[in-house]
Amino acid sequence: MKKAKRILLLLLVIALLGAGYAYYQYTRQPPDVKTEAAEIKTEAGELVAAFNNDEAAANKIYVEKIISVTGKIADIKIDPTGQATVFLESGDPMASVTCSFYDTEAAAVKNLATGRQVTIKGVCTGKLMDVVLNKCSIVP
Amino acid sequence: MKKSFFVFCCFLLCTATGFAQKYFTKNGTISFEAGTALEDIVATNKTAASVLDAATGQIEFAVLIKGFEFRRALMQEHFNENYMESSKYPRASFKGKITNIQSVSFQKPGTYPVTVKGTMEIHGVKKEMQTAGSLTISGTAVQATARFVVTISDYKIAIPRIVADKISKTATVVVRCNYSILK
Repeated sequence: MKKAKRILLLLLVIALLGAGYAYYQYTRQPPDVKTEAAEIKTEAGELVAAFNNDEAAANKIYVEKIISVTGKIADIKIDPTGQATVFLESGDPMASVTCSFYDTEAAAVKNLATGRQVTIKGVCTGKLMDVVLNKCSIVP
Repeated sequence: MKKSFFVFCCFLLCTATGFAQKYFTKNGTISFEAGTALEDIVATNKTAASVLDAATGQIEFAVLIKGFEFRRALMQEHFNENYMESSKYPRASFKGKITNIQSVSFQKPGTYPVTVKGTMEIHGVKKEMQTAGSLTISGTAVQATARFVVTISDYKIAIPRIVADKISKTATVVVRCNYSILK
Protein backbone atom coordinates (compact mmCIF):
# COMPACT_ATOMS: atom_id res chain seq x y z
CA MET A 1 0.00 0.00 0.00
CA LYS A 2 2.77 2.36 0.98
CA LYS A 3 4.68 1.30 -2.12
CA ALA A 4 1.72 2.05 -4.39
CA LYS A 5 1.42 5.53 -2.89
CA ARG A 6 5.09 6.15 -3.47
CA ILE A 7 4.87 5.13 -7.11
CA LEU A 8 1.85 7.32 -7.55
CA LEU A 9 3.69 10.28 -6.04
CA LEU A 10 6.70 9.65 -8.28
CA LEU A 11 4.47 9.54 -11.35
CA LEU A 12 2.83 12.79 -10.29
CA VAL A 13 6.21 14.49 -9.94
CA ILE A 14 7.29 13.23 -13.36
CA ALA A 15 4.02 14.42 -14.91
CA LEU A 16 4.43 17.86 -13.30
CA LEU A 17 8.03 18.15 -14.48
CA GLY A 18 6.94 17.10 -17.96
CA ALA A 19 4.12 19.64 -17.98
CA GLY A 20 6.46 22.33 -16.70
CA TYR A 21 9.00 21.57 -19.40
CA ALA A 22 6.30 21.54 -22.09
CA TYR A 23 4.99 24.88 -20.81
CA TYR A 24 8.52 26.33 -20.82
CA GLN A 25 9.09 25.13 -24.40
CA TYR A 26 5.70 26.33 -25.57
CA THR A 27 6.05 29.86 -24.20
CA ARG A 28 9.78 30.22 -24.96
CA GLN A 29 10.45 33.54 -26.71
CA PRO A 30 12.89 33.93 -29.59
CA PRO A 31 16.23 35.29 -28.27
CA ASP A 32 16.46 39.05 -27.87
CA VAL A 33 19.32 39.69 -30.27
CA LYS A 34 19.76 43.26 -28.98
CA THR A 35 20.98 42.08 -25.59
CA GLU A 36 22.96 39.02 -26.69
CA ALA A 37 26.63 39.14 -27.69
CA ALA A 38 27.66 38.52 -31.28
CA GLU A 39 29.21 35.10 -31.84
CA ILE A 40 31.13 36.24 -34.92
CA LYS A 41 32.48 39.65 -35.85
CA THR A 42 33.06 40.33 -39.53
CA GLU A 43 33.06 42.97 -42.28
CA ALA A 44 30.48 43.41 -45.04
CA GLY A 45 33.00 42.67 -47.83
CA GLU A 46 34.32 39.59 -46.09
CA LEU A 47 30.80 38.28 -45.37
CA VAL A 48 29.56 38.65 -48.97
CA ALA A 49 32.80 37.14 -50.32
CA ALA A 50 32.36 34.11 -48.05
CA PHE A 51 28.86 33.48 -49.50
CA ASN A 52 30.02 34.11 -53.07
CA ASN A 53 32.93 31.67 -52.74
CA ASP A 54 31.12 28.77 -51.11
CA GLU A 55 27.51 29.26 -50.09
CA ALA A 56 27.13 25.88 -48.39
CA ALA A 57 30.20 26.49 -46.22
CA ALA A 58 29.14 30.06 -45.43
CA ASN A 59 25.65 28.84 -44.46
CA LYS A 60 27.26 26.52 -41.90
CA ILE A 61 29.40 29.30 -40.45
CA TYR A 62 26.99 32.23 -40.36
CA VAL A 63 23.33 31.22 -40.76
CA GLU A 64 21.18 31.31 -37.60
CA LYS A 65 24.10 32.86 -35.71
CA ILE A 66 24.18 36.28 -34.10
CA ILE A 67 26.87 38.19 -35.98
CA SER A 68 28.11 41.76 -36.05
CA VAL A 69 29.00 43.27 -39.39
CA THR A 70 30.99 46.45 -40.02
CA GLY A 71 30.65 48.34 -43.27
CA LYS A 72 29.86 51.53 -45.12
CA ILE A 73 26.17 52.41 -45.44
CA ALA A 74 25.03 52.23 -49.08
CA ASP A 75 21.36 52.99 -48.45
CA ILE A 76 18.79 53.41 -45.70
CA LYS A 77 15.07 52.66 -46.02
CA ILE A 78 12.44 53.43 -43.42
CA ASP A 79 8.88 52.41 -44.28
CA PRO A 80 5.84 54.40 -43.19
CA THR A 81 5.07 51.41 -40.95
CA GLY A 82 8.34 51.98 -39.07
CA GLN A 83 10.22 49.10 -40.63
CA ALA A 84 13.89 50.09 -41.00
CA THR A 85 16.42 48.49 -43.35
CA VAL A 86 20.09 49.43 -43.85
CA PHE A 87 22.22 48.22 -46.78
CA LEU A 88 25.99 47.85 -46.35
CA GLU A 89 28.48 48.11 -49.22
CA SER A 90 30.50 44.97 -49.83
CA GLY A 91 32.70 45.94 -52.76
CA ASP A 92 30.62 43.59 -54.96
CA PRO A 93 28.27 45.74 -57.10
CA MET A 94 25.76 42.88 -57.33
CA ALA A 95 25.42 42.11 -53.63
CA SER A 96 25.35 44.04 -50.39
CA VAL A 97 24.35 43.16 -46.84
CA THR A 98 20.65 43.76 -46.09
CA CYS A 99 20.08 44.53 -42.41
CA SER A 100 16.45 44.43 -41.28
CA PHE A 101 16.02 46.14 -37.92
CA TYR A 102 13.78 45.51 -34.96
CA ASP A 103 10.81 47.89 -35.33
CA THR A 104 11.83 49.47 -32.02
CA GLU A 105 15.20 50.48 -33.56
CA ALA A 106 13.77 52.71 -36.30
CA ALA A 107 14.51 55.87 -34.27
CA ALA A 108 18.20 54.92 -33.97
CA VAL A 109 18.39 54.16 -37.70
CA LYS A 110 17.08 57.67 -38.46
CA ASN A 111 20.33 59.06 -37.01
CA LEU A 112 22.48 57.14 -39.50
CA ALA A 113 23.61 58.57 -42.84
CA THR A 114 24.61 57.06 -46.17
CA GLY A 115 28.40 56.76 -46.55
CA ARG A 116 29.03 56.40 -42.84
CA GLN A 117 30.82 53.43 -41.31
CA VAL A 118 28.63 51.42 -38.93
CA THR A 119 28.60 48.14 -37.01
CA ILE A 120 25.30 46.26 -37.00
CA LYS A 121 24.37 43.17 -35.03
CA GLY A 122 21.74 40.69 -36.19
CA VAL A 123 20.88 37.10 -37.04
CA CYS A 124 22.14 35.93 -40.44
CA THR A 125 19.41 34.15 -42.44
CA GLY A 126 21.45 33.38 -45.58
CA LYS A 127 21.96 34.88 -49.03
CA LEU A 128 19.25 35.86 -51.48
CA MET A 129 20.55 38.66 -53.71
CA ASP A 130 22.25 40.09 -50.64
CA VAL A 131 23.42 38.44 -47.48
CA VAL A 132 20.51 39.05 -45.10
CA LEU A 133 20.57 39.93 -41.39
CA ASN A 134 17.36 39.96 -39.32
CA LYS A 135 16.53 41.45 -35.91
CA CYS A 136 19.24 44.05 -36.27
CA SER A 137 20.38 46.75 -33.89
CA ILE A 138 23.26 49.23 -34.04
CA VAL A 139 26.38 48.30 -32.09
CA PRO A 140 27.48 51.46 -30.27
CA MET B 1 39.08 48.92 -67.76
CA LYS B 2 36.77 46.61 -65.86
CA LYS B 3 34.53 49.51 -64.92
CA SER B 4 34.22 50.83 -68.47
CA PHE B 5 33.23 47.35 -69.63
CA PHE B 6 30.56 47.25 -66.95
CA VAL B 7 29.23 50.63 -68.05
CA PHE B 8 29.24 49.44 -71.67
CA CYS B 9 27.23 46.35 -70.68
CA CYS B 10 24.73 48.53 -68.84
CA PHE B 11 24.43 50.72 -71.92
CA LEU B 12 23.80 47.68 -74.10
CA LEU B 13 21.22 46.37 -71.68
CA CYS B 14 19.40 49.71 -71.61
CA THR B 15 19.28 50.13 -75.37
CA ALA B 16 18.28 46.49 -75.90
CA THR B 17 15.28 46.79 -73.62
CA GLY B 18 14.32 50.21 -74.91
CA PHE B 19 14.91 51.93 -71.55
CA ALA B 20 12.16 49.86 -70.00
CA GLN B 21 11.66 50.82 -66.38
CA LYS B 22 12.42 48.16 -63.83
CA TYR B 23 11.56 48.31 -60.16
CA PHE B 24 13.11 46.37 -57.30
CA THR B 25 13.01 45.90 -53.56
CA LYS B 26 15.10 43.93 -51.12
CA ASN B 27 12.98 44.70 -48.06
CA GLY B 28 9.55 43.51 -49.07
CA THR B 29 7.24 42.08 -46.42
CA ILE B 30 5.71 38.64 -46.82
CA SER B 31 3.69 37.25 -43.95
CA PHE B 32 1.43 34.28 -43.50
CA GLU B 33 -1.20 33.04 -41.15
CA ALA B 34 -1.81 29.33 -40.65
CA GLY B 35 -3.44 29.15 -37.25
CA THR B 36 -6.71 27.66 -36.04
CA ALA B 37 -9.02 28.49 -33.17
CA LEU B 38 -6.61 26.55 -30.91
CA GLU B 39 -3.44 28.36 -31.87
CA ASP B 40 -2.59 31.56 -33.64
CA ILE B 41 0.33 31.09 -35.98
CA VAL B 42 1.65 34.20 -37.69
CA ALA B 43 5.07 34.73 -39.24
CA THR B 44 6.61 37.68 -41.03
CA ASN B 45 9.58 38.03 -43.35
CA LYS B 46 10.75 41.61 -43.91
CA THR B 47 13.55 40.95 -46.37
CA ALA B 48 11.83 39.57 -49.46
CA ALA B 49 13.51 40.46 -52.76
CA SER B 50 11.40 41.32 -55.78
CA VAL B 51 11.87 42.68 -59.29
CA LEU B 52 9.08 44.12 -61.43
CA ASP B 53 9.41 44.97 -65.11
CA ALA B 54 6.94 47.73 -65.95
CA ALA B 55 7.09 47.05 -69.69
CA THR B 56 6.46 43.31 -69.76
CA GLY B 57 4.73 42.79 -66.41
CA GLN B 58 7.33 40.19 -65.47
CA ILE B 59 7.44 39.90 -61.68
CA GLU B 60 9.61 37.80 -59.38
CA PHE B 61 9.81 37.30 -55.64
CA ALA B 62 12.23 35.39 -53.44
CA VAL B 63 12.49 34.88 -49.68
CA LEU B 64 14.79 33.08 -47.30
CA ILE B 65 12.70 30.63 -45.25
CA LYS B 66 14.92 31.20 -42.20
CA GLY B 67 13.94 34.89 -42.37
CA PHE B 68 10.37 34.23 -41.18
CA GLU B 69 9.97 35.48 -37.63
CA PHE B 70 7.47 33.93 -35.23
CA ARG B 71 6.39 35.10 -31.81
CA ARG B 72 7.35 31.77 -30.26
CA ALA B 73 10.81 30.25 -30.65
CA LEU B 74 9.52 26.67 -30.75
CA MET B 75 7.15 27.42 -33.64
CA GLN B 76 10.00 28.91 -35.64
CA GLU B 77 12.17 25.85 -34.95
CA HIS B 78 9.44 23.39 -35.98
CA PHE B 79 8.67 25.46 -39.06
CA ASN B 80 12.31 25.39 -40.19
CA GLU B 81 13.39 21.93 -39.12
CA ASN B 82 10.30 19.77 -39.51
CA TYR B 83 7.91 21.39 -41.97
CA MET B 84 9.90 23.54 -44.41
CA GLU B 85 13.26 21.74 -44.05
CA SER B 86 14.88 25.10 -44.60
CA SER B 87 18.47 23.83 -44.54
CA LYS B 88 17.62 21.66 -47.55
CA TYR B 89 15.28 24.19 -49.22
CA PRO B 90 16.53 27.61 -48.03
CA ARG B 91 14.43 29.72 -50.43
CA ALA B 92 10.90 30.06 -51.68
CA SER B 93 10.20 31.93 -54.90
CA PHE B 94 7.57 33.08 -57.33
CA LYS B 95 8.18 33.83 -61.00
CA GLY B 96 5.36 35.12 -63.10
CA LYS B 97 3.63 37.88 -64.96
CA ILE B 98 1.09 40.58 -64.31
CA THR B 99 -1.32 39.65 -67.08
CA ASN B 100 -3.01 43.06 -67.29
CA ILE B 101 0.11 45.25 -67.03
CA GLN B 102 -1.07 47.42 -69.95
CA SER B 103 -3.91 48.70 -67.75
CA VAL B 104 -1.37 50.11 -65.23
CA SER B 105 -0.13 53.60 -65.95
CA PHE B 106 3.21 54.00 -64.16
CA GLN B 107 3.09 57.76 -64.81
CA LYS B 108 -0.32 58.30 -63.27
CA PRO B 109 -0.71 58.03 -59.48
CA GLY B 110 -3.43 55.67 -58.34
CA THR B 111 -4.24 52.13 -57.30
CA TYR B 112 -4.60 49.57 -60.06
CA PRO B 113 -6.05 46.08 -59.62
CA VAL B 114 -3.83 43.43 -61.19
CA THR B 115 -3.86 39.72 -61.89
CA VAL B 116 -0.66 37.77 -61.36
CA LYS B 117 -0.02 34.36 -62.87
CA GLY B 118 3.06 32.22 -62.49
CA THR B 119 4.98 29.49 -60.72
CA MET B 120 5.40 29.29 -56.97
CA GLU B 121 8.21 27.22 -55.52
CA ILE B 122 8.03 26.26 -51.84
CA HIS B 123 9.76 23.32 -50.15
CA GLY B 124 11.31 22.33 -53.49
CA VAL B 125 7.87 21.85 -55.09
CA LYS B 126 6.78 23.98 -58.06
CA LYS B 127 3.15 24.81 -58.65
CA GLU B 128 1.26 27.09 -61.01
CA MET B 129 -0.88 29.71 -59.34
CA GLN B 130 -2.88 32.85 -59.97
CA THR B 131 -3.93 35.63 -57.65
CA ALA B 132 -5.41 39.10 -57.58
CA GLY B 133 -3.41 42.00 -56.18
CA SER B 134 -2.90 45.69 -56.61
CA LEU B 135 -0.23 48.16 -57.67
CA THR B 136 -0.23 51.62 -56.13
CA ILE B 137 1.71 54.28 -58.00
CA SER B 138 2.74 57.47 -56.20
CA GLY B 139 5.50 59.54 -57.78
CA THR B 140 8.46 57.26 -58.46
CA ALA B 141 7.36 54.76 -55.82
CA VAL B 142 5.38 51.64 -56.56
CA GLN B 143 3.70 49.53 -53.91
CA ALA B 144 2.48 46.02 -54.62
CA THR B 145 0.05 44.16 -52.42
CA ALA B 146 -1.52 40.74 -52.73
CA ARG B 147 -3.31 38.23 -50.56
CA PHE B 148 -3.79 34.59 -51.46
CA VAL B 149 -4.26 31.16 -49.98
CA VAL B 150 -1.77 28.32 -50.27
CA THR B 151 -2.73 24.70 -49.56
CA ILE B 152 0.07 23.31 -47.41
CA SER B 153 -0.18 19.71 -48.68
CA ASP B 154 0.29 20.94 -52.27
CA TYR B 155 3.92 21.57 -51.42
CA LYS B 156 4.53 18.17 -49.80
CA ILE B 157 4.78 19.68 -46.34
CA ALA B 158 3.89 17.02 -43.81
CA ILE B 159 2.15 18.11 -40.61
CA PRO B 160 2.24 15.42 -37.90
CA ARG B 161 -1.16 14.24 -36.69
CA ILE B 162 -0.46 15.33 -33.10
CA VAL B 163 -0.49 19.02 -34.10
CA ALA B 164 -2.90 18.68 -37.03
CA ASP B 165 -5.75 20.43 -35.19
CA LYS B 166 -3.50 23.39 -34.33
CA ILE B 167 -2.18 24.06 -37.81
CA SER B 168 -4.50 25.06 -40.61
CA LYS B 169 -4.56 23.06 -43.86
CA THR B 170 -4.07 26.30 -45.71
CA ALA B 171 -1.92 29.36 -45.17
CA THR B 172 -3.10 32.87 -46.00
CA VAL B 173 -0.17 34.80 -47.45
CA VAL B 174 0.01 38.60 -47.52
CA VAL B 175 2.56 40.38 -49.73
CA ARG B 176 3.47 44.05 -49.39
CA CYS B 177 6.42 45.46 -51.35
CA ASN B 178 7.57 49.05 -51.75
CA TYR B 179 9.61 49.22 -54.95
CA SER B 180 12.23 51.72 -56.06
CA ILE B 181 13.46 52.32 -59.59
CA LEU B 182 16.31 50.00 -60.60
CA LYS B 183 19.10 52.24 -61.87
